[in-house]
Amino acid sequence: MTEKGPTPLERFINGILPENPVYRQVLGMCPTLAVTNGMKAAMTMAAAVAFVLVCANILTSLIRNLLKPHLRILVFTLTIATFVTVADRIIAAYMYDMSKQLGPYIPLIIVNCIIICRCEVCASKQNVLTAATDALGQSLGFALALASIASVREILGSGSWFGIEVMPAGWPDWVVMVLPPGAFLTLGLLLGAANWIGELAARRRTTQGVA
Amino acid sequence: MKDNYLKQAWLVLLLALCFGGVLAGVEHSLKGRIDENKKADTLGQIPNLVPGAVSASFSNGVYRAVTQNGDHAGWVLLVTGQGFADKVELLLGLNADASQITGVYILDQKETPGLGNKIVEDEWRAQFAGKSTQQPLEIVKRKAEKDNEIEAVTGATISSETVKDMVNRAAADFRRQLASGGF
Amino acid sequence: MEYLSTLILIALSAALINNFVLHYFVGICPFIGVSRRVDMAFGMGCAVTFVISIAALLSWLLTYYVLREGAPLTVVLTRDPTVDLSILNYIVYIFVIASSVQFVEMYVRKYFKPLYKAFGVFLPLITTNCAILFACLEIMKHVSGVSDPAQMWGVLESLVMAASGGIGFTIAIVIMAGIREELDHCDVPKVLRGAGITLITAGILALAFMGFTGVDRGLQKVLQGRDKAAESAEAPDASAQTSRNWETGI
Repeated sequence: MTEKGPTPLERFINGILPENPVYRQVLGMCPTLAVTNGMKAAMTMAAAVAFVLVCANILTSLIRNLLKPHLRILVFTLTIATFVTVADRIIAAYMYDMSKQLGPYIPLIIVNCIIICRCEVCASKQNVLTAATDALGQSLGFALALASIASVREILGSGSWFGIEVMPAGWPDWVVMVLPPGAFLTLGLLLGAANWIGELAARRRTTQGVA
Repeated sequence: MKDNYLKQAWLVLLLALCFGGVLAGVEHSLKGRIDENKKADTLGQIPNLVPGAVSASFSNGVYRAVTQNGDHAGWVLLVTGQGFADKVELLLGLNADASQITGVYILDQKETPGLGNKIVEDEWRAQFAGKSTQQPLEIVKRKAEKDNEIEAVTGATISSETVKDMVNRAAADFRRQLASGGF
Repeated sequence: MEYLSTLILIALSAALINNFVLHYFVGICPFIGVSRRVDMAFGMGCAVTFVISIAALLSWLLTYYVLREGAPLTVVLTRDPTVDLSILNYIVYIFVIASSVQFVEMYVRKYFKPLYKAFGVFLPLITTNCAILFACLEIMKHVSGVSDPAQMWGVLESLVMAASGGIGFTIAIVIMAGIREELDHCDVPKVLRGAGITLITAGILALAFMGFTGVDRGLQKVLQGRDKAAESAEAPDASAQTSRNWETGI
């Protein structure tokens, strides 16, 4: 555990933008596309992912010294599946409408690459504090990505945000935005925008370095 | 050899036991609530579907709605059918002798947002209330004039037709069952 | 006839109308990752179709006989008809998938050398493919989630749904790979290269697949038209599929 790496705080910040799971690592695409036709659904999804990711990361980090290398994926899967079941039941008990709307996408968190990737890359090597901050940073980054896509889709597609009308009356809803094609198009264009911003930032940094 | 297996797997087994316990706890504390939610989904709508009804009992695939003082107020049927995009699931309210529709409620649909999914709106569904089940309903693309006419949702004739077909079929089937003394 | 037309409708719906990738967004990771060349995409598609069918069969058996409320095997073992093991569903499914991937890999490597060469490398990747878990969840919804036993899916319905879902995945990924091979010769803006342009292309593809919406309803009318004609004039719209639940329910 002497491996040098970013500090817990740096990891937290990294997860939000520089290593954003959706825009930078292109991970966890299924929920990103499927539940972003409205802000409410997207935020419930982000919360569920955050819950599972934080719990799984902490637990993995706690037992990291006991893990046998060839059994680790098995342990990760077992852990994630359990926490997802717990999250699924809680949503079904307290937010029944949301649970009906999200349907199979809550259990599909089990195979969400973000979680297993963070367990493997970070939590199985780092102490609990680092693992927890890393998980929080990544979940926040994921939530931010979902929020950006869902905002675009809901505002253009239904003229509302979190269910509140924001567009002027007579706004023609772009129905296609809340349908599957809209998800692909929005994410593709936002991904391009994210790359462009990243490139601009990198260019400015190098010119400043020269000066 | 056996010992070796145990040495490698004890953590997995221990974790499996712990997780089993956690899940049992969650199930125990939340199951009642979830079942409650599922029931309320249907039962909560019954007062809106059958005027005067306060509760209902489920038997033989239909809800028998009763009023405050236990009188039989009507029937509520759960109907499924193929919509434009996916399955449509609705509740159909009928009066006690199934001669009149008292209400329609869409439980589940995945029709096109902005067009077909307008079938869930109160205004459109209200057209069904008070219609007679003696003759099949018809969907028209203009103002409804005759007694058995329902105005289509603009731009979503197929979704409207789906609901109409489901209502017609379920009502006719149920009337036949009722007439042959099925209940 | 009626059963057959139900199966055809399920297959059509899973493969084209509600395509796993373009409508339900499952299996996006390989859809973006392994769609550079047509032959690789086809190999991946075949591997998924293969595993999805096996996982569907196993998860149907487990859901029907063990996991759902009132499952025969559980009732026999516990002597309590109210036992409901459905909270274990997700854990069981993910292990069914993981182990069937393992077994398929070993079996194919041993007995079908050419097949292993064709898609063996993709097999381990499939464990985390959401399409497979999604198929299991659909089966769960139609076996333990239905209130009416007459509408419960049998093993054949589940298999047909899963296999045609896999075929739908193959169709989508092969079309995508074909387009991407051509895209290599195009001048794509630098920031959109890779995932960006793939997603936009997928969006247009999804738009095209939306054209299939409603086909199943029309087909249902044609397939069941004969049954309808046989119905009495009293119930002009009685379609066989749903009247079935009335007959058994009452």
